Amino acid sequence: MPLTTETMVLNMGPHHPSTHGVLRFILRTDGEVIHLCRPDVGYLHRGLEKIAEQLPYAHFMPYTDRLDYLAAMNCNLGYAITVEKAANIEVPLRAEYVRVLVAELNRIISHLISVGTFAMDIGAVTPFTHTIREREWVNDLFEELCGGRLTYNYVRFGGVAFDLPDGFLDRLNRFLDYFEPRLEQYNRFISKNKIFKERLVGVAVISPQQALDYALVGPNLRASGINWDLRRDEPYSVYGDLEFDVPVGAAEYGVVGDCYSRYWIRIWEMEQSVRILRQCIAKMPEGPHWNRSKKKLKVEPGEIYVRTEAPRGELGFYLISQGGPKPHRLRIRTGSFSAMSIVEEVGSGLMVADLVALIASLDVVAPEVDR
Amino acid sequence: MEEQSILERIKRIIGEADLVWVDDQLGDSYLVIPKEKLRRLAIYLKGDFHLAFDTLMCLSGVHNMGEQDEMEVVYHLYSIRHRHQFILKVKLDRPAFFPHFYLRVDSLSGIWPAAAWMEREAYDMFGIHFVGHDDFRRLLLPPDWEGHPLQKDYRESEVYRGISTTREEIEGILAEESG
Repeated sequence: MPLTTETMVLNMGPHHPSTHGVLRFILRTDGEVIHLCRPDVGYLHRGLEKIAEQLPYAHFMPYTDRLDYLAAMNCNLGYAITVEKAANIEVPLRAEYVRVLVAELNRIISHLISVGTFAMDIGAVTPFTHTIREREWVNDLFEELCGGRLTYNYVRFGGVAFDLPDGFLDRLNRFLDYFEPRLEQYNRFISKNKIFKERLVGVAVISPQQALDYALVGPNLRASGINWDLRRDEPYSVYGDLEFDVPVGAAEYGVVGDCYSRYWIRIWEMEQSVRILRQCIAKMPEGPHWNRSKKKLKVEPGEIYVRTEAPRGELGFYLISQGGPKPHRLRIRTGSFSAMSIVEEVGSGLMVADLVALIASLDVVAPEVDR
Repeated sequence: MEEQSILERIKRIIGEADLVWVDDQLGDSYLVIPKEKLRRLAIYLKGDFHLAFDTLMCLSGVHNMGEQDEMEVVYHLYSIRHRHQFILKVKLDRPAFFPHFYLRVDSLSGIWPAAAWMEREAYDMFGIHFVGHDDFRRLLLPPDWEGHPLQKDYRESEVYRGISTTREEIEGILAEESG
């Protein structure tokens, strides 16, 4: 008689500290090994695409904040660029720089949360308090700028809602001076920690082919060794005038595309964001911050697909207009959605504890999956 | 590769019959193809060396209720190897009787695995069936949900699992409670 083991169905979530919002996984396990991993999403579905069809263009802006609450500025920006392209709205140069500035600042705090929760998910609670401390400073800066600490509703069609307050750039500079050495501290503290590396190196490898097949985007795609960044390859706003490197997974430890490379990419990206921010501060031009038009917003019939690089990768808005005051259809394509769809493929065969590392490394945010 | 030369290559493979090239004034031009040719063309688009569309950026359902009641499935393709993009569209009639019988199109999840979840979402929201999908069920909404919310003529049912979804009733209850 052959020796057999029994499989068990294990329900993980929807309320599990590591699941970054409300996610549920149905696992068929054999001991500690996962045979089959089925993500179950939709707990945070708010019907954003349906809401978009029922509101005038400008009224949908606050909803994009809630699309990905960790990177509200980037979502604002993506939507604003889409409508501007469709309606031919000019943006003053100062506004472009302010937009890039807030987008990169938001990228930093989004990656901070990602790195902090990553460490927390695999058992190190302290780093999270450190990253949150830095994030708090940026939240204060944003509050000064637009009054919001999490959902900003700051970007407008044709500019931004408020000009920079007096002395904002100095205070931002002070934050950057403080923040840059912190990154080195994180490296000593987390990245080069032996236990942390043992836990992540070589775990849940996503090959470049898999990454393309599942349409992974942003840091997850680059961690698999594919050199692709919209900010550099299809520059929008003023990214074309700024100098920065695009970090690509190169396997300092382990292999390209494992959990550790996905973590490491985010630390690098924060470094590059700091570089972009410093250039923005140096180049910030004078001028109006909002090309506010008195005319009613008019979008000709037609369709347009615009994507921008948010912290969780490409954020695509597919807008179909029939000429009315409301969009005929607004499809939102997010990075977490495709990251979530690959979990079933990569997660099968892992240990249960490594699944937690995989989800954390993909930096999935549940509201962005469900929309 | 430019859009026009991609189009030429496509015509060489599946023939010029029934292809409609739409020059969009606003932004992105697209090619409408008959649904019978979709699968064959998709295999070619991914496999051909000069086209090499390695990612499916976006798959969207669209419902038009203008002169004709029809649904569209839109495929935004991108080639990271060659840095070019192309947009395909398939149009499906939606007759008043047995619409689910007509809203069927081949699944591309075997060609671009990314399509698997996007197709499930399109089914969830529009009721378009993708034939040949491994794991075809609703994605975002609960399995017992009635209807497909992004259809233009969708009406929310008034009760879901014994809970009212209308505002009037909730307001009535509140008014009663406050006396």
